[in-house]
Amino acid sequence: MSYTPLKLPDYHEQSPDVADRFRRIRERPVVLKVSDLRKTFGTEEGLQVAFENVSLDIHRREFLCIIGPSGCGKSTLIRIVAGLDHASGGEILVDGHPVSGPGQDRGMVFQGYTLFPWRTVKENVMFGLEMGGKDVDHADSEARQWLEMVGLGKVENSYPHELSGGMKQRVAIARALANEPRILLMDEPFGALDALTRCKMQSYLLQIWKKVNVTILFITHDLDEACYLADRIVVMGANPGRIVEVIENPVPRPRTVAQLLSPEFLTLKHRLDELIHGPVDAEEEKLPVIKLTEAGDEVE
Amino acid sequence: MVLRDWLGLRHELPRRRRLLLMVMSFVLPLALWALVSYVPWLWHPLVHITNAGSVDYLAPGMDVDGAVFARETAAAQKAGLALPEGYRVNPLYLPPPHKVARAFVTAFTTPPRLPNEPWLHQSLGHSIRTILWGFAISSLFGVPLGILCGTYRFFAKLQEPFIEFFRYLPAPAFGALCVAILGIDDPPKIAIIVIGTFFQQVLVIANTVRKVDPALIEAAQTLGGKGWQLVWRVVIPASITDIYTDMRILLGWAWTYLIVAEVVGTMSGITFFINQQARYRNFDNVYAAIGMIGIIGLTSDILLAWLGTGLFPWKRRVRSGKKIPVVEAIPIAPAVDPAVSAAKTVTGNAKS
Repeated sequence: MSYTPLKLPDYHEQSPDVADRFRRIRERPVVLKVSDLRKTFGTEEGLQVAFENVSLDIHRREFLCIIGPSGCGKSTLIRIVAGLDHASGGEILVDGHPVSGPGQDRGMVFQGYTLFPWRTVKENVMFGLEMGGKDVDHADSEARQWLEMVGLGKVENSYPHELSGGMKQRVAIARALANEPRILLMDEPFGALDALTRCKMQSYLLQIWKKVNVTILFITHDLDEACYLADRIVVMGANPGRIVEVIENPVPRPRTVAQLLSPEFLTLKHRLDELIHGPVDAEEEKLPVIKLTEAGDEVE
Repeated sequence: MVLRDWLGLRHELPRRRRLLLMVMSFVLPLALWALVSYVPWLWHPLVHITNAGSVDYLAPGMDVDGAVFARETAAAQKAGLALPEGYRVNPLYLPPPHKVARAFVTAFTTPPRLPNEPWLHQSLGHSIRTILWGFAISSLFGVPLGILCGTYRFFAKLQEPFIEFFRYLPAPAFGALCVAILGIDDPPKIAIIVIGTFFQQVLVIANTVRKVDPALIEAAQTLGGKGWQLVWRVVIPASITDIYTDMRILLGWAWTYLIVAEVVGTMSGITFFINQQARYRNFDNVYAAIGMIGIIGLTSDILLAWLGTGLFPWKRRVRSGKKIPVVEAIPIAPAVDPAVSAAKTVTGNAKS
């Protein structure tokens, strides 16, 4: 190796401000409690474990990211929390009440946009309010406020197919928040967006979270995204799915893009990379050597 | 590359070329018909006799086979008798385009031969009424059942195997039964159309409804939708445009059952007209009547398609004139309504 690795601090080190923040978060009541959750499903080779021994406490107003390789069951986990799937064992409590199906106390934003194509942007946001039994006038004005908040007041009468991916996802966020859920579940919500839009959306999300009284459980497989957004990061491993480590993010708030190069950010990202990808076996990654280049034409 | 402009694989054609091709799709078969009708040496297998000459079984006005005419002419020539005269024509059942075109008008203006027979417009009206009744009755039951089968596995498993079996039974096979049960007037005809349409309708619509993106239903569930609300507010609106397209196609199928239905019991409607005219050997009227069915079918389909774009505004393409404001760049903070943020943010929990 011909480069000098950066000297990074230990990712456990927290500045007094950050430590104080985590202390305050821990003092707040638990919104979502997942205990000993387990999911298995039958395959041809018998019972397969998607994940087991998953326990989590998410405190009020906390931003928690779950990160892990594909196949670790993170999407199944969030679907179970949303009530769209059933656990094989364990318990989920929202504000102390067990979860038995989908409900308005948990809002969800999916990776696919899942906006209703037959409803205008505003009508999409009104959907949950109508389901909750609000009268149309009331729902209308509330929906408009939520759209203003995500910066989309101008397109309230457009149909979803007329919007860009980023705008659609902001509508989806407004739609989920309009129900004033206790916790917002986000399943790789920016996974389908291009890198630039994703970056913007992350900053939008932080701004929205600041203004709205909501706790966020966010699933991603993007290390930068987790480091940029989360308070705590839950790292999951695969085969079988399980929690490997829960990390308190040492990057101070408010977050800016400039922090992407701060020592705290880099050390955290380095640790996540280690946990998720493990030590890289250089030999295993090598392709067989077949030369098709001319002499003198090689690249290093 | 002229060829590639026209025939590029999956290559979009400009609007003018599309229109040209659409017109040509009608013009080409018409041109072929005109060619066979008006160019005397193309086909024209018969000879229309103008003068019988010495052949005793010929008479002026008669059409005889070309070979027979040639043989008789040769025979007469040999015997030194008067030659028969005539010119080559196509058979009566292939009238030239201009006659059929004229028939489109004259068929309506010609009174029926017998006083109790219907005029053409009455026959057509009768047919359209039969179709609409049949289609309406079929849809009244078929659409809800299709939606139920597409939404709930319970109904799908309970209904579909039998329907799958029944749809293989040809509707005309029920003609005699329908007459025995429902009499000889319109009810058995409507019943045939219902039998022909209903079973297909249930299966087609159930399949369409099954194609609704399950993610939309899940999204609605997380927003608080439950039970019937999900069917009314999500499943049906999500599939309504495709159901509408299905209905347009099914209406076309209903027309194919019409002709069969109309010969059941007392012959009626356009089929009666066609049969009557064929009996009188007015083949130009026969073609005109068949053409009218096509025109009515195509026009109603175009009308329904046009109506559909009005009914389902979200299916319209983005019009080039309509500009969606670009709001990617609007910062969120200043856009916040103070009322919202005040209501949603509890001071004690505000972020540091």
